[in-house]
Amino acid sequence: MSEHLKTLLRLAPALTVIGLLFFGGLVMGLIRSVNYMPVIGLTQPNLDAYRAVLSDPDFLRSFGLTLHISLTSTILSAVLAVSAALLLRRSFAGRRLATFLFQLNLTVPHLVGAIGILYLFSQSGSFARLAHAAALIDRPAEFPALVYDPNAIGIILQYVWKEVPFIGVIVLANMQAIGQDYEAVARSLGATRWQAIRHVLLPQIWPGVLSASVIVFAFTFGAYEIPALLGASYPAALPVLAYRSYTDVDLASRPEAMAMAMVIALMSAAMILIYTRAARRRGGR
Amino acid sequence: MRPTAIALLTLSLSSPALVHADTSDGSALIGQDWDTIVEMARGGEVNWFMWGGSDTINRYVSDYVGGVLMDDYGITLNRIGLTDTTEAINIVLGEKEAGVTDAGAVDMIWINGENFRTMKQAGLAWCGYTETLPNNVLIDWSNPAIANDFGVPVDGCEVPWNRAQFAFAYDTARTDSPPRSIPELLDWIRANPGQFTYPAPPDFNGAVFVRHVFYHAAGGVEGLLGDFDQARYDAAAAATWDILNEIEPFLWREGATYPTSITQLNGLFANQEVAFTFDYDPSQFGLGVQSGQYPETVMSYGLTDGTIGNTNYTIIPFNSPNKAAALVLQNVLLSAEAQLEKALPEVWGTVPGIEVDRTSAEIQTAFAGIERHPSVVDPTELAQNALPELQAGWISAIEQGWIENVGR
Repeated sequence: MSEHLKTLLRLAPALTVIGLLFFGGLVMGLIRSVNYMPVIGLTQPNLDAYRAVLSDPDFLRSFGLTLHISLTSTILSAVLAVSAALLLRRSFAGRRLATFLFQLNLTVPHLVGAIGILYLFSQSGSFARLAHAAALIDRPAEFPALVYDPNAIGIILQYVWKEVPFIGVIVLANMQAIGQDYEAVARSLGATRWQAIRHVLLPQIWPGVLSASVIVFAFTFGAYEIPALLGASYPAALPVLAYRSYTDVDLASRPEAMAMAMVIALMSAAMILIYTRAARRRGGR
Repeated sequence: MRPTAIALLTLSLSSPALVHADTSDGSALIGQDWDTIVEMARGGEVNWFMWGGSDTINRYVSDYVGGVLMDDYGITLNRIGLTDTTEAINIVLGEKEAGVTDAGAVDMIWINGENFRTMKQAGLAWCGYTETLPNNVLIDWSNPAIANDFGVPVDGCEVPWNRAQFAFAYDTARTDSPPRSIPELLDWIRANPGQFTYPAPPDFNGAVFVRHVFYHAAGGVEGLLGDFDQARYDAAAAATWDILNEIEPFLWREGATYPTSITQLNGLFANQEVAFTFDYDPSQFGLGVQSGQYPETVMSYGLTDGTIGNTNYTIIPFNSPNKAAALVLQNVLLSAEAQLEKALPEVWGTVPGIEVDRTSAEIQTAFAGIERHPSVVDPTELAQNALPELQAGWISAIEQGWIENVGR
């Protein structure tokens, strides 16, 4: 009991911060999202904001776009990260340098990466200028639209660039812990190299890949700054749409902004659930 | 150890009261002798939330205004930069909800238009104090363009800071003669596909551009003045969306997307992706040339059918704990010296919110001697064709209508 109490007491400061700032904010948001905001005369709680948001074609298009951004970025990042990890676990001259370079952009903030994407890929960016110098294009408009584009190519580029090393580092550590013995056994029993990877290595690293991917998915689903910087004006990613609604001059649109934020939070919570399930399954093995 | 901690805690809790008085009670300040207010404010601080997207404006506020406040009054000015003024209003609103009536985080906001209307509607503004400011005499409250903020009566809830009028800019090295009216501009867009765009409302400048087209579609601004009128709005709005949808295929990216901020449009203009940009504050073009963002061949200009002008203000929230310091700050901002400094093209180059002819002879001479940056259109020339702003109800409706009918 006293040991238990001590542990709780030691955890109290951290729990208070999380409880007050995170859950406090979440609860405030939830209260506002059900149209309860006495300061602007809303005193009858109801679900109008959710109804309005969920039946709004703009919201649904934004939801679809955000899902597209998150899924595409996560799948591309995971595939590239596993491939890169497979190469980096081999021993070759310059492997240390290659691994260092591979992990380098883990330390670069997302915003800085986004500005980099803008400088490189916009229609007046470095690649467009190179194309112009090579007489491939005459005017900026002839360069393919890779940023501010409705398909969110620029946003996905930025996420893939940033998340490949994130998943890669986790998978690489995973692979190194497992070692190559199982694959060697499989090879000695007549498996091809691909068969050894497919049936021996992949099942072992799969939980690691999955949990890293879920983190990436949840992050890209709720992140505001990258779609705000690199996205098209319409449709906007869900967090951008929610923020626009939150900064709408009409105070009456605050409940809708909060309802959108709640939907984003719900999606992220679902992701965390999947993640803990996956992690537990891995632990149970 | 523990007594020290308690002593420190007590000290830190009580020290603000020792250094300077809490002046959250506004009614005690109104009509108070100015020297008393200055003494109450001395040694305190003031938190000014304002749009922070211009380095030059930020420098003027932090260095010049902050310097005067510190040197003459011992007041520390904290400038908090915003990308959207609504963020500051959300803070005050949240505080009001939470019952924070005398210890708000915001002491002053740079504001106008819809945001002012929101603050007034929700009872977030402190009002009725303007007569208390000594420099109030420099303000011409009989001018409807000052006594009304986008058609909403000011009622002593804010004081003017600058005046501004919308202007376009082009690069003389790239474009020979720019279109000088909205109809000419529409023709130019059709003749030069892909070289024009505007930021999507609710971006402030993008929304002003859309209002220019709205005035044109309505056959002039005269029928739009006064309270919001649904029937008149519907007629003009339908024509506006027709025009804007009709030119959409001729815009940058064939109108599939729009820039989301004026900063993005300025970037497209600087990188020669589009031929025009515009700004509610034409002095920005001179500053852009000075900073090297634009070439010296960039020039700003007005339209023969007029461009929209406005006044912008500073407001003190009802729950500011440093109202005396905020008053001193407002009085400094309104002073002839600070308004002169701000009018210098290398500092900011904006049009004063006070009446220059009410200032001293020296100041008037100094104002007359200011040389404009060559890239900035002459404000007097611009003012010859000035259009009024609409009431906030119209503006919200136009922004929402654009998003629903054009932006999608």
